[in-house]
Formats: sequence, structure tokens, C-alpha cells
Amino acid sequence: MDLPLFSSYSYKKTLFDEVFEKDEKIRDMYKTLFKVYSDRSIDDFKSLNEKAKASFFNQGITFQVYGNNETKEKIFPFDLFPRIIDNTEWDHIEKGVLQRSKALNLFLWDVYHDQNIIKAGIVPKEMITSSVNFLEEMVGFDPPGGIYNHISGTDLIKHSDGNYYVLEDNIRCPSGVSYVICNRTALKRALFGIFNQYKIQTVTDYAQNLLEILETVKPEGVDNPTCVVLTPGVFNSAYYEHSYLAKGMGVELVEGRDLFVENDFVYMKTINGPKRVDVIYRRVDDIFIDPDVFNPDSVLGVSGLFSAYLKGHVCLVNAPGTGVADDKAIYTYMPDIIKYYLNEKPILKNVHTYHCSRPDDMKYILENIDNLVIKPVDESGGYGISIGNKLTQEEIEVVKSTIQKHPRKYIAQPIMSLSVHATYIEEEESFESRHVDLRTFTLLGKDKDFILKGGLTRVALKRGNLVVNSSQGGGSKDTWVLKK
Amino acid sequence: MLARVANNLFWMGRYIERTEHVARYLSVNYFSSLDAPNEFSQSRQFVLQSLLFMVGDTEKEDKILDEPDVLFDIGLNNEKEYSIINCVKLARENANSARDLISTELYETINKFYHFVLNYCVEDYKKKKLYDFTTNIIEFTAILKAKIRNTLLQDEAFSIIRLGLNLERSIQVIRIINAKYNDILIIKGKQNGQISKNNQSVQHQELLKEHRTDISLEWSTLLKCVESYDMMRRFHKKTPDNINTLDFLILNENCPRSVVNSLAEVAKHIQVLSCEKNIPKNSSIFLVNKIYNEYKYKYIEEIEVDFRTFIEDILKKLVAISKKMEEEYFTY
Repeated sequence: MDLPLFSSYSYKKTLFDEVFEKDEKIRDMYKTLFKVYSDRSIDDFKSLNEKAKASFFNQGITFQVYGNNETKEKIFPFDLFPRIIDNTEWDHIEKGVLQRSKALNLFLWDVYHDQNIIKAGIVPKEMITSSVNFLEEMVGFDPPGGIYNHISGTDLIKHSDGNYYVLEDNIRCPSGVSYVICNRTALKRALFGIFNQYKIQTVTDYAQNLLEILETVKPEGVDNPTCVVLTPGVFNSAYYEHSYLAKGMGVELVEGRDLFVENDFVYMKTINGPKRVDVIYRRVDDIFIDPDVFNPDSVLGVSGLFSAYLKGHVCLVNAPGTGVADDKAIYTYMPDIIKYYLNEKPILKNVHTYHCSRPDDMKYILENIDNLVIKPVDESGGYGISIGNKLTQEEIEVVKSTIQKHPRKYIAQPIMSLSVHATYIEEEESFESRHVDLRTFTLLGKDKDFILKGGLTRVALKRGNLVVNSSQGGGSKDTWVLKK
Repeated sequence: MLARVANNLFWMGRYIERTEHVARYLSVNYFSSLDAPNEFSQSRQFVLQSLLFMVGDTEKEDKILDEPDVLFDIGLNNEKEYSIINCVKLARENANSARDLISTELYETINKFYHFVLNYCVEDYKKKKLYDFTTNIIEFTAILKAKIRNTLLQDEAFSIIRLGLNLERSIQVIRIINAKYNDILIIKGKQNGQISKNNQSVQHQELLKEHRTDISLEWSTLLKCVESYDMMRRFHKKTPDNINTLDFLILNENCPRSVVNSLAEVAKHIQVLSCEKNIPKNSSIFLVNKIYNEYKYKYIEEIEVDFRTFIEDILKKLVAISKKMEEEYFTY
């Protein structure tokens, strides 16, 4: 590359590069951006990068790191090179994530009511009953508006074949949406000139739509619902997001200690006495929402909240018990779940899953183990995973014998390669290619839905690393969806 | 508005106001002493003691003070409750907890302020940048107050912040008056000592004249510490002395920094919070109006005659109001 900022960029043919074509030419939609970068020297860019960082500090978009004697504030690393998605590709993503969210909602209704999908033999009963996230208390309960997963975060990757694949559905308390918006704000402040040259979809309408969605699921008999955001408090790493959303919606940000329940109604403690609360967007996990029913030691929740919910006097968003539908085991059935409830073909691909319990699959797994990832179905957080091409011959034999002994406990998936994107690396003072994924945000309400046109592009900042989580040194990028 | 958040906003207002007064007292007093007319009020020990007196640090009374240490304690020492850095930290912590209620513009300014103080080089501050530091602090607080006035919805949240600001203002102005009054008493004590040694008539007259100028300069410094010097000159058109200065700073209803003006603001904003038609006896709104009216209808001579009692009495009453408000509005 001729540009000084790209002098150390290495192009890898085996990966999908979001910015460059196979012949190392810049993709059309990135050309204008490139022209802008070519006018800048390394020093210019360094100073821009510093300004963008200052913008995050000043906006207070930070998280605390607790050291020995003092707490330090840090920002999530932010990259000045935006990811661009053209409108055709985005249409595909948007339809796909909405289809998944709707199917998951119907699945949850079924799971907590008649369980027809189990009776039809599509999802095995033990997948549900063995899940720690299945809430017995929710059986037979009709959530307001019939909605369980009001807010879904869908994690997508682009494989080397150029197709998007869903990696994970998050329908408990998906976070990250505030970063989508503040990444945009920071980029606008730093590189305002570029925005004139692209027609980009806005991301600032999320909070307004979220409020409208919350209002569609108000309890019966309430005209003007009082909605609130429930946060664990200022020390939570996502506190910025909670306060951002509350402010964006113009509603109160409450903590558990601000609420109380009387005669199965929920109230907040205001300067003029109690005020009834109708819809709670809670950013507190299921097990902490009510010490009377779940974890008795929880100080984050509200005593009696769950009972008020079951009486239909308050709506909790997302509904308790959604976790049963977003674990790894259910993920493998998503194509069948979509087909069963919507009678549609899945728009977004699932990473193909081989079940060790199926003889044909098992045969394939044993023959192709080098190219597969073997995962236990009931673990989370990356435990018990074996990546075929990183194992020694002896280790492969151990894995083979384990999965043959417990075929029901294991699945296998092809090793997916995340696409790469040019990313500014501070230490190198230049752009390098790094792996990225994309989290989208979908809202479902009664007769209303909304998909944020943009998303959180997460970047694995360590060279060659595939893990994009912020806890493991991941950063993020502004994500532009182009208008038609 | 949530009771917990109301408490946060109240204290955010108080800490912003406190920061400003500490910074201004530090700056004005320090710099005016550099060319003070007599040796005594120019002496570093005298000024440093006065600075510590104002922030309420009595630990080092009667001890030889180290200038960089004192400046550090008041400006950037995290471990001193009264330090500017601590006040800014607490203002921001309180703003954090009420972040959804205040405007983005206000929050960003507080945050920027916090990072400014946090990242200020301690060595530079102690040795050469006292003026730069304090000026920036004073400007930041002015911007903050402008953002409060101009970007917030003027509802209960706004009134809570203004209430905190004005209650704190009245307390800080009283503290500043007290500190300077104390300085003047010390200077007078020294002068009396000099006079008893020199009783020849010509010299005696000159000395008295000199002393009057010295004292008048201290009253001017007091007015500058409260940013009210120019307006006091405009209003009284006289050289500052004990009566006109105290009258202006305590009882003048049009002086934005005067105690009675601050109390009027407190009374106005507490009315917004209360939904009671009849004011119950001993409620915070009752106590606020009681003290406001007491000072509204007072002569300065009534205060001047027993200044110590005035200071003790008014501070006690203001603390009682703050406690009462906590009981009535902030309990959660």
C-alpha cells in the first residue's frame, strides 16, 4: 500500500477482508474514505485519535478498573476507521434478525405454554427441562402483549465465503447499544468532513423506539404507563448505558432500593411520596430481580416484584425466563424453530452443527475432526471447547473417545473465520487487519418492531485473535449502514 | 423525581458552589497578600493560616506552615475532605447518580471539569500555576452554573440544584466573612501593640492613618473574595469599612452573593418542592422562610455588635435546614 498509514497492512487471502477485494483493491464503498485518509499524515491521525479518546472521557463513557489503592477510569478502545455495510447487505441482515427474534418469541410462548414443538418431536424435551434458565414459575403465564424478548442482540460474523452467519442470540439483557451511538458521536466529532460524502442511516432513534416498544406492553387498564430503567447501580460496568437509555427515553433510572411493592403493585419513592411504576426495563439478571423468589441475598432487586409481575400489574422487559431460548443447545435447532413457527426458510445462516448423537453426523465428525470445533452443549463461557486444528494427535484420540462415550453431550461445528477490517493500532501508528463481528439490536413490541440500522462492530485488537469481547482486549468501530 | 436522585442533585449543587468559593478565596487572598501594605499581612504564615481557617482545618493552628503543603492540601490533596479535587470528585459522583435527569451538556461539562482537575500536574500547581489552576476552576464553575440555568428543564430537579447551590453559597459567604473578619482582628491586635509603644503625637497620628488604610484594604480583599468589590463601590461609593462591607455582603438584597439574597433564592426554590398549601411549623420550608425574614428585616449594627454570635447562630440554623430537608425529601 502506498499510504503511510497502511504501510504495515498485510492482506490475507484466506480471510474475508471487509475493506479490500481479493486483488487487494479497495472496495468501491470505501474509496471516498480512503481519499480522506490519504490526505492525513501519521501525526494528524495520532492527534485525531487522541481527540476521539478525549471525547469519550468527556462524555463519561468509561468503566472503572479497580487496582490496589485506587480505581482508574478507562475507555473502551474505539477505532476511527468505520465499518461500512451497503443497503442490500443490510436489508438481508435486517430481515434475518427480525425473523429470528420473532421465531424465538413464538418458541418461548410455546415452551411456557403447550410445548407443541416438543410434542412434534422437533426439539427434545430434555433440552428444555434440563436448562437452568427454564423458569417453572413462568409456565402458563401470559406476558403483556405476548412478548418475551423485547430486546434481542444478535451476534453475526462474516465467514471467508462472504456470507453472514449468526453466532449467538442474546435475549436476556443484551448490552452495547449505547456504544453504537457514542461511537457515532465520537467519529462525527473527529472526522466530520467525511459525513458529507456518505449517506448514512441514523442510529440516534433507538431510545425513542425503545420507549414506544415499552409502552406497547403496558399492563391492562393503564393509559399512560410510567416506564423506568432498573439498573444495578453506578458501579455496574454498563451503568453508562443504563443512564443513557433512561435519559434518551426521558424516564427515571431507578435502583432496586428506589422501588417497593405494596399489594402487588410496584412504586418508586419520589420526593413527593410513592409513584406507581408500570413497565420496568430491567438490566438486572433474572436471579437478582426478586429476593423473595430467586436469590435471597440479592440487594439489586425488589421484594415482591415477581409476584406483582405474575398478577399482571407491572411488565418486566425482557420477560424472566428468556434464557432458556438463547443457549447453545437451542441455537442448533434455530433453523427448525424458524421453519416450525413461521413456515419460512431461515434468512441468516446458522453455523452448521453436527450432533454427536446422530450416527451420520458422528461419522463425519470422526473423519473431519481437524476442521471442527467440538463443544459441550451444556457449558457456557467457552469451557470444554476443543478446536480441532490446535490439538495434538493424542488429544484428538482423547476427544474422539469422550464424544463416543457421551454422544448426547457434544456437538461439532466447522471452524469459522471472522472477517477482518482495517483497524488503527496505536502502538504501530498504522492500520492493520483485525478480526471483527457485528451485534445487531432488534426490538419487539405488541404490533411493533424496530431494528437499529447499524450495530456494534467489535474488534479483536490483538493480532490473530478471534475473541472480540471487551473483557479480552476488544474494541469497537462505528458501523455505517448506507442509505439506498 | 426519585428521593435518592434529589439528594444527589442537591449535593451536586452544593459541591459545585463550594469548589468555587474555596478556589476564589485561595486565589484572591494569596495574590492580594503579595503586595499587602504592611509586613504582617504580607507574611506567608499569616496568609496560609487564613487559608486553612477558611476551609476549617484547625490541625496546624499555631504551627509553622509550609507553603507548597498548604496549597496542595487545599487544591489537590485527595485525602483532605475540603480540597478542591475532592469537592469536584463528589460533585461528579453525585451527577453520575443523577445522570439520566441532567442534560448531556451539563454532564459533559462536569466530567470535563473532573478530568481537568484530576490530570492537573501537582508540581506545576504548587510551584508556578496557582493562578492558572484557580482561574480555571472559577471559570469551570461559572460554565456549570450557566449550563444549569440554560440547559435544564426548570422543574423540581432544577429547583433542587439551585437550592443546594444557594444554601451552600450562603454558608460559604459566611465562612469567608468569618475568615477575613478573623484576619482583621489579628491585624488590629498587632496594631494596638505598635500604638502602645509609640505615643509621640505626630507619629501617632500617621500610624493611625496607616492602620486605617491597612484595615480598609483587608475589607476590600474580603469583597474581592466574594467577587463583590466593584458592585459594592458602585452601591456605597465609599471606601470599604466594617459597616458598609458587612451590610453589602450580608443584608443587601440586590447583591447576588449576599447572604440574604441567597436565602431568598433558597426560599423561592423550596416552594417549588412543597405541595402543601399550609406551611407546617418546623418544616424545612418554614425554617427557610423564618431565617430569610429574620435577615431581611435586620440592621447591620445588630449583627456587628456581636459578630461571633451572629456567625454561630446563622451557621447552626443553616445546618438545621439542610438536615430537615434530608428528612423530608431525601429519605429513601
